[in-house]
Amino acid sequence: MIAIIHILVLIGIIITAAFIVWQKNLIAAAIAFAAFSFLLSIEFYILQAPDVAIAEAAVGAGVSTAIFLIAIWATHDQEAA
Amino acid sequence: MSDCMSKLVRTTADVMFLFITVFGFYIVLHGHLTPGGGFQGGAIVAGGFILLIVANRLEDFLKWFQKRSFQSCEVSGLVLFIGTALAAIPLGYIFFKNFLNGAGGLFGQAVPFGINSGILNTAGTIPIMNIAVGIEVLGGLSIIVLYMTSGIRSHEEGE
Amino acid sequence: MRSLAVWFTLVILGIGLLFTAVTIPFGSPAMSDMDDYFIAHGQEQTGANNIVTSIVFDFRGFDTIGEASVLFTAVFGVSVLFRVRKKEEDYEYE
Repeated sequence: MIAIIHILVLIGIIITAAFIVWQKNLIAAAIAFAAFSFLLSIEFYILQAPDVAIAEAAVGAGVSTAIFLIAIWATHDQEAA
Repeated sequence: MSDCMSKLVRTTADVMFLFITVFGFYIVLHGHLTPGGGFQGGAIVAGGFILLIVANRLEDFLKWFQKRSFQSCEVSGLVLFIGTALAAIPLGYIFFKNFLNGAGGLFGQAVPFGINSGILNTAGTIPIMNIAVGIEVLGGLSIIVLYMTSGIRSHEEGE
Repeated sequence: MRSLAVWFTLVILGIGLLFTAVTIPFGSPAMSDMDDYFIAHGQEQTGANNIVTSIVFDFRGFDTIGEASVLFTAVFGVSVLFRVRKKEEDYEYE
């Protein structure tokens, strides 16, 4: 059971990472980065490192997403073609 | 942000702020018993403040919390951390000695070795350093986002 | 020609990384004397149930002082970069 969840989380990490790179809309990329950090924290928890999982969920999915959104809001929300 | 979000988002952020703050301080205070610690708990509490900053207007947030309070949080956390480490030297120990462990006073209860139920009043100077780092990270991460928001605001108004 | 060179570099890097990842055994460090000492004596010497916290705040406290100083310096740099300017103060971004 835990192996299936583990493989699903790894596939989700790869999909969200590819989505971040391919997406031209920067706000969508920032939200996908939050999802990536959340899946990465689940991966850390499965690998029995709950300290790192809490830090990743708080800093990666919470603080850095807000910083990215404020930076995008101050500039333009489209990547230069 | 300059234009505030809808009433649903603001009310949800105001209600969730309390629960996020309580959970973060729980993680800080139980850092020596359960997974977590000063940095993780401080980041969670800072996430609650950042949720308030993003959801509400900046003027409203600055009416509730001042910038100076976050600055003093950060500075006092760092001073408390280094002061706790330095306080071992006048007592005759080396730097970073855990002088409160097992002394019977504050955080000094003797711990039963092996698997135990987790007593909060143990581990000497480790909970004090956890609280110090938690306060510092709270102030630091909040003041970064607060400075970014207010600096961008003043730049847009200046043009 | 250029895309061919890019793909060639990518394939060589991928083969190298996969070979390294497969050959190194996972979860069995070469030297584990320090880890065994911390796991055996950490709770006894610091009184904390959480071994990670006892290492971060007691055995390796100097690292935590460095981390706290790094965070303080980062906040200092952000406050210099995003400071609120006065109206009459002229500045240039370019």
